[in-house]
Amino acid sequence: MSLPAETITLPLSWLLLFFALFASLLALAARSFLSTPQPSASTPGPYSGLAALDHTADTRSLFHTWDPRLKVLSLLLYCFFVVSLSSLLFASAAVLIALAAVIIAGIPAQAVLRRMTAMAGFLGMFLVVMPLTVPVQEGDTLIRFTHLPFFTFNVRGILTALAIITKAAAISLMMGPLVNTSPFPITVRALSSLGVSQKICQMLLLTHRYIYVFQHEINRMQTAMRARGFMMRSNLSTIRTIGNFLGMLFVRSFERTERVYDAMLCRGFTGAFPSHESFHARGKDWIISASWIILGAVLFILDRYWYTG
Amino acid sequence: MHELAGFTRHEQKAPPLFKTKALSFQYPDGRQALQGIDLAIYPGDRVALAGVNGSGKSTLAKHLIGLLSPTSGDCFYKERPLSGDTLTHVRREVGILFQDPDDHLFCNTIYDDIAFGPMNLGCGPKEVKRRVEKALSDVDLEKLAYRQPHTLSLGQKKRAAFAAVIAMQPDVLILDEPTANLDPKQKVIFQKLLQRFSGTLICISHFLPFVHSLCKRAVVMAEGRIHHDFSLNELIAHQEALREHGLDHTFRFNCCGSGDHHHHTDHSHPKSPRAPLNKKSTQHDRASLIRMRNYSFEYPDRSQALHTIDITIHHGESVAIVGENGAGKTTLASCLMGILRGRGEYLFQGNPVSDSLRKRLWQHIGMVFQDSSDQIFCPSCEEEVRFGPEQMQLEKEEIKKRLEDSLRLTGLKGYEKRVPLHLSGGERKRLAIAAAYSMLPPLLILDEPTANLDPESEKLLISILNDLDITKIVISHDMSFIAHCCERTLVMDQGRIVKDSKTAEFLGDNQLVSLNMLDYTYKNICAHG
Repeated sequence: MSLPAETITLPLSWLLLFFALFASLLALAARSFLSTPQPSASTPGPYSGLAALDHTADTRSLFHTWDPRLKVLSLLLYCFFVVSLSSLLFASAAVLIALAAVIIAGIPAQAVLRRMTAMAGFLGMFLVVMPLTVPVQEGDTLIRFTHLPFFTFNVRGILTALAIITKAAAISLMMGPLVNTSPFPITVRALSSLGVSQKICQMLLLTHRYIYVFQHEINRMQTAMRARGFMMRSNLSTIRTIGNFLGMLFVRSFERTERVYDAMLCRGFTGAFPSHESFHARGKDWIISASWIILGAVLFILDRYWYTG
Repeated sequence: MHELAGFTRHEQKAPPLFKTKALSFQYPDGRQALQGIDLAIYPGDRVALAGVNGSGKSTLAKHLIGLLSPTSGDCFYKERPLSGDTLTHVRREVGILFQDPDDHLFCNTIYDDIAFGPMNLGCGPKEVKRRVEKALSDVDLEKLAYRQPHTLSLGQKKRAAFAAVIAMQPDVLILDEPTANLDPKQKVIFQKLLQRFSGTLICISHFLPFVHSLCKRAVVMAEGRIHHDFSLNELIAHQEALREHGLDHTFRFNCCGSGDHHHHTDHSHPKSPRAPLNKKSTQHDRASLIRMRNYSFEYPDRSQALHTIDITIHHGESVAIVGENGAGKTTLASCLMGILRGRGEYLFQGNPVSDSLRKRLWQHIGMVFQDSSDQIFCPSCEEEVRFGPEQMQLEKEEIKKRLEDSLRLTGLKGYEKRVPLHLSGGERKRLAIAAAYSMLPPLLILDEPTANLDPESEKLLISILNDLDITKIVISHDMSFIAHCCERTLVMDQGRIVKDSKTAEFLGDNQLVSLNMLDYTYKNICAHG
């Protein structure tokens, strides 16, 4: 059995401080993500819907003028390179690159933060679980806390968790320049022209359109439930009410789906969304695409060299 | 049951556009929606398809365009059975507008939605652009061409959906309740749009004054059968038939009301509105239930929804709030309910509405939403009505008593085990009132209570509301309904209360037509010219 190189013992208060900080961050993220949508005057009714996925598509930037097909293809390839990184150093570099892309694309900080907080809870668990579960190898540094002799935190586990978190953050940040910089139907048409099946493209388009309608319906139903005193409690009655609510939502969504399909048939729909859109890739678009792919490849090669060397 | 189709049918020599022979249809759950329908619609016909909620009008329309197939009988378009190639053909030539515009607007911009039909017809880019621009101009939505549908108001969505239909340049238009939930101004816009359409028109509506200016022929349906097929003027003149089919609107007309004599369009303002005055006390000796002073509400995007609202509502009062779509009526109701929180003074029963009182307001204020489906989520009527009292943690005996009282008051006795989703629009509305009333709130707020109701259901609703001896706030565009149910009327415009008067004075105001850009007399116009 190999032995760790070093064991550091820290006071228990450090651990408590860490957990307090972690729990506060998680609570903040959950509150920001799960809070009731704020009302807005721009949408009918007392509640607003979700922010549109392509709400920054009207502005101008390098990403906005880039041919959507090449943009989708090269940024997805770049993301694959980022996923393959192993070291925290290069994953952090990918985060910096993604941040620069977000700034260039003019994506509002609020939208970026909202996306990041949505992932925070899930990713945060890596930071808690991995230091405790990574097998101890030769050369690992372990951290112990006073009064807790049975808990041993492996620093390598912390670093691995941080690498996963930074990679996820880098890719999540890249989704802004990828999706927010063209009208969503154009992005879907770009996917279609890259060979993604028509059915998947239609599902994406209809989901994007009706998610706002369903959210509006959910808000109205929730308001009506609150108006009759419904509050979430940990009892059977709450579970039954939530079950009824979800059942009703499903029935209404199903009925809506049938009506929409009928309306499409009545306007000559035969199975494919018609389009007169055509894409034209210019030299500039090819150069930008090549640059992103090369950037991803360089990160990947350096990471491999760093990791193995 | 009276004799079916007991009046002379129209005789036409041209071959019919649509023809049905003994058409019957049964839904998979066993509900018989249509029975033995024999109908012929000729080119150029302008037909009002009338009948109470659930009479089979929309189901018949779906058969005419081939969205449903008959269980028995036949349906023909231009003398060819509706199947195979004829289906493609009929959908190219017949445009149908459903009740809910969100069903039509499935693309990500209004432009794409309108272009969808012409592109499916195989039109080239230039022709598609021309048709889209023409349709947008017809409905006056050019400036919103690239907006996403979910950001539009209901009136704008309705017009956008209509533009999507007319961009296909159909020969025939089938409209299912085209003016449902629209304010009077939007209704007039829609009426003018339809008057310009020169093709065959089939308009499903139970509001005869609207279809009177558009249609010449009336087909009346009841319980899945055609009961009458004659001219619209004949139908309107036949009070007995109107009453029998729940289409009698004469109770709405303040000029004469009884319906026993001819109406006059220029008598649309009531000389003596029949708003009920409180039976027990006058306004002066009532304590105030709600008091708002200098109350404002601002959305996070800084747009002001309510401006310095000053109102006092007394116990037992029935107050109407009127105004254009987007005037702030529903926002005000949401603030009263405590769902939204604005700035300023708000007293309920003399107590300032603090955070803790705001959380308990649901026990004191009942709300009936515009779309009853929003507030119905239980599997049976009984559970639906019991829900509120159960949340109040009342004794079982008290809950049972309230359930019985509420169902009896709303005429739903015997509906305990019925599934709310299977009820008609009017029944659902009454169930929503029963659910709110079972909590015995001192104040009941009703948002557009008459939306989509047939005259019979509306009449019943008026009688139920007048029997409720509690404070009521009614948000409505329907002047007749207000005249029957409310003693005081507040007019809202751009978040402000611009007029606060007795309903009698409000309805007698000669400036009413131009006030707030709304034609308030719209629903009050007698159909008899």
